[in-house]
Amino acid sequence: MNLSASERERYSRHLLLPEIGAAGQARLKAARVLVVGAGGLGSPASLYLAAAGVGTLGIVDHDRVDLSNLQRQLLFDTGQIGASKALAAQTRLRALNPQIDVIAHDLELCADNAMDLLREYDYVLDGSDRLATRYLVNDACVLLKRTLISAAIHRFEGQAMCYVPDRGPCYRCLFPKSAEGAVPNCAEAGVLGVLPGVLGALQATEAIKLILGLGAPLVGRLLTYEACGANSTDKSARLTPRQLRSLIDRAASHGTACTVVDVREPREFAAGHLADSVNIPLADLPRRWAEIPARVPLVFLCRSGRRSLAARELAARAGFEQATDLDGGLLAWAVVIEPEMTVAPFE
Amino acid sequence: MNTVRVASPLRSYTAGAAEVTASGATIAELLAGLERAHPGIRFRMIDEQDRIRPHIRIFIGRREVKRLDEPLRTSDEVHLICALSGG
Repeated sequence: MNLSASERERYSRHLLLPEIGAAGQARLKAARVLVVGAGGLGSPASLYLAAAGVGTLGIVDHDRVDLSNLQRQLLFDTGQIGASKALAAQTRLRALNPQIDVIAHDLELCADNAMDLLREYDYVLDGSDRLATRYLVNDACVLLKRTLISAAIHRFEGQAMCYVPDRGPCYRCLFPKSAEGAVPNCAEAGVLGVLPGVLGALQATEAIKLILGLGAPLVGRLLTYEACGANSTDKSARLTPRQLRSLIDRAASHGTACTVVDVREPREFAAGHLADSVNIPLADLPRRWAEIPARVPLVFLCRSGRRSLAARELAARAGFEQATDLDGGLLAWAVVIEPEMTVAPFE
Repeated sequence: MNTVRVASPLRSYTAGAAEVTASGATIAELLAGLERAHPGIRFRMIDEQDRIRPHIRIFIGRREVKRLDEPLRTSDEVHLICALSGG
């Protein structure tokens, strides 16, 4: 996909970055991204994605612009009050970058249309303001194997995570279900106007990283941001046996690497272990990091999940920030995946 | 004493404080201490069967805990995370 002279000028600061260059810019141009919700998160996210040259950008929202939106939803201006958000967003994004395709979906995302709509895109950014929509978007992404970049806000706090099919847990893995009334939205609880700016820009950053294959995305981790505390932290989720199975299968079918380290004692390992796992007992880990390849998915496992958690903490301190582990250990694996496996007792 | 970082939707119980202190040898003891200091907060996180509610996650440092009998060291920072819905 070639870039025109005006595209070279528009994206010149990207082209200067060796990590992006013409090849990366062409990947952005070929990418299809859907932004769910043209609100506080969707505004900065879609503006940055349009500016960055994402070639096909969809915006889905069925709402109308309200005066109370303008404290944070930078896609709109005062003259657009009462207008369709999807169409107003399309106008703004086309004005910002006429060289991309902006598609307005002026409709309410629901179970009847979610699959058909999401199927048309490769990446989905969730900036919706209802939990029911969050679960709908998540489930559709899981079924369609679409990458999901999710963020949410409340008053002064925000959180963000990415779901990449077969590479880590999804939103429902983290929060299995949620009573709608238990978690107030912005209209009920209020929100610092600039907060979705931070989180929405973060979503755009994650999307661009994923499109370009750049750096370490927020996969298997939940980033929390506290505006008043001036800090952010990320938390690592654990893999279920099914997620580990699909991670291993995907690595095998794509010929990519995935390191599974069994941190039990050699005696336990000998009694029965996962095919292709390597045995490095927990106590030996600190002097055997050199045996673990960097920058590939790294999963620790043990009998019940306790030693693998400790291994993950050691790994994080040793620079393996993306390490994760098998929740429930091989005992859970044997129940769900491989009933014939012998799991030796830990003495 | 453990530092406890409180999710935004739970701060109505901590007079708006994002960070409080509590102590306990386990997560269960820590939550009991939190409940004494901030009545009502435990039930927002833990149901009648002593299960962590599905929209709540508890972390010790960066590590998620699933069981209330998980042991705590005094140096551990505990994070109470709540699903957020705003966009």
